[in-house]
Amino acid sequence: MSTLPDHLRVYRVAAEPGTRVIVASVGLACCAMEVESAVRLGLLRTDAGDAESAGRTILLVAGTVTDALAPAVNAILATLPPDTLVVSFGACAGTGGPYWDAPTVTKGIDQLAPVAQYIPGCPPRPDALVAGLLALTVEPSR
Amino acid sequence: MSAVVHGVIALVPDACTSCMICVRECPTWCITVESHAEQVSEPGARRPRTVSVLDRFAIDFGLCMYCGICIDVCPFDALEWAPTIDHSSASRDGLVHDTERLSGWRMHE
Amino acid sequence: MSTGMQTVPREAWHETFAGLVSDGFGYLDLLTAIDRGDEIEVLAQVVNPDGAELMRVSVRLPSDDPSLPTIADLFPAASWHEREVAEMFGVAFAGHPDPRPLLRRTSLGRPPLRTTTVLAARVAMPWPGAADPESAGKGARRRQLPPGVPAEWLSDGPR
Repeated sequence: MSTLPDHLRVYRVAAEPGTRVIVASVGLACCAMEVESAVRLGLLRTDAGDAESAGRTILLVAGTVTDALAPAVNAILATLPPDTLVVSFGACAGTGGPYWDAPTVTKGIDQLAPVAQYIPGCPPRPDALVAGLLALTVEPSR
Repeated sequence: MSAVVHGVIALVPDACTSCMICVRECPTWCITVESHAEQVSEPGARRPRTVSVLDRFAIDFGLCMYCGICIDVCPFDALEWAPTIDHSSASRDGLVHDTERLSGWRMHE
Repeated sequence: MSTGMQTVPREAWHETFAGLVSDGFGYLDLLTAIDRGDEIEVLAQVVNPDGAELMRVSVRLPSDDPSLPTIADLFPAASWHEREVAEMFGVAFAGHPDPRPLLRRTSLGRPPLRTTTVLAARVAMPWPGAADPESAGKGARRRQLPPGVPAEWLSDGPR
């Protein structure tokens, strides 16, 4: 495992500090605003700590993944521990969303990697983000 | 008109006439309506009336862009915003929620 | 700001802009295209900042041969706009200094903003609005088509 790229933001879930969330905001991501909003509301904590102290690592993919951007998402995944759970945030990451008919848009990041939880919304609300992440705790990976 | 809370879209099944307007107006094609026709005889009426009976109403929240066009175009106020946020799923298919779940999200019974 | 409009034949496209430049219209405001069916309309808007004047020039090109001389030699800013119109509408700009596609990294085969270009996803996915409960048992009264999707796109033809 190589080191995490500098541009990725790392958070902890306030309601479950053992969960480390790495946010990959790709493409046209209005979803990025909602993730930032979750930070402002205190739902996500910025004191991420190091990977060793984390109970588990989640890669949160938010935004419109195009076929041109898909290799970038794969490259991020390659730097993360193999037991990292992938969570899809918003309609675009989940299925292509409003752009499902566009020939250049990837129809869901599950075409790149298995998804542990799909959080629907266009965009999802910040509290929906936390609800989706906590749902992973109740029903741990698939 | 219901308050816009941008949570989910809830269904009032008794108000739905299966007219298909929401299905056809949806830009992302995320609504499915299944129905069948029934003959209803009313006292005093010369012949029975044909009515559509709703069998299944489903919204694929994986595709839904929460634009609310379906709510706006429904002539019978059978769709409304509701504040639920717990409709995430571990599977792609689990993002499709149908009649029972959609009606359970209503704010006012 | 006063606005002028003119439609020119394609042979006059470049000289029209050359004339506008010498009349003080030195700022390119926009250059885009519209698919009119049999024709592709390319239009550009230039501004004379001194006289607060705006001129819109449009040209109609046959859809099967949409070529036009570049005006990037007069307005360097036209370069990206022409590359976009070339990519999205299939308009060939003769003499363009850098004709690479602006946005897409690989060709999709057909210009995506032409109305004749089929969106494969809309063809492959059945339209949920095709069901017609009102005419159940009575035969379809009239065919329902998804908004914005031409009938020719539907995989099994009109239904």
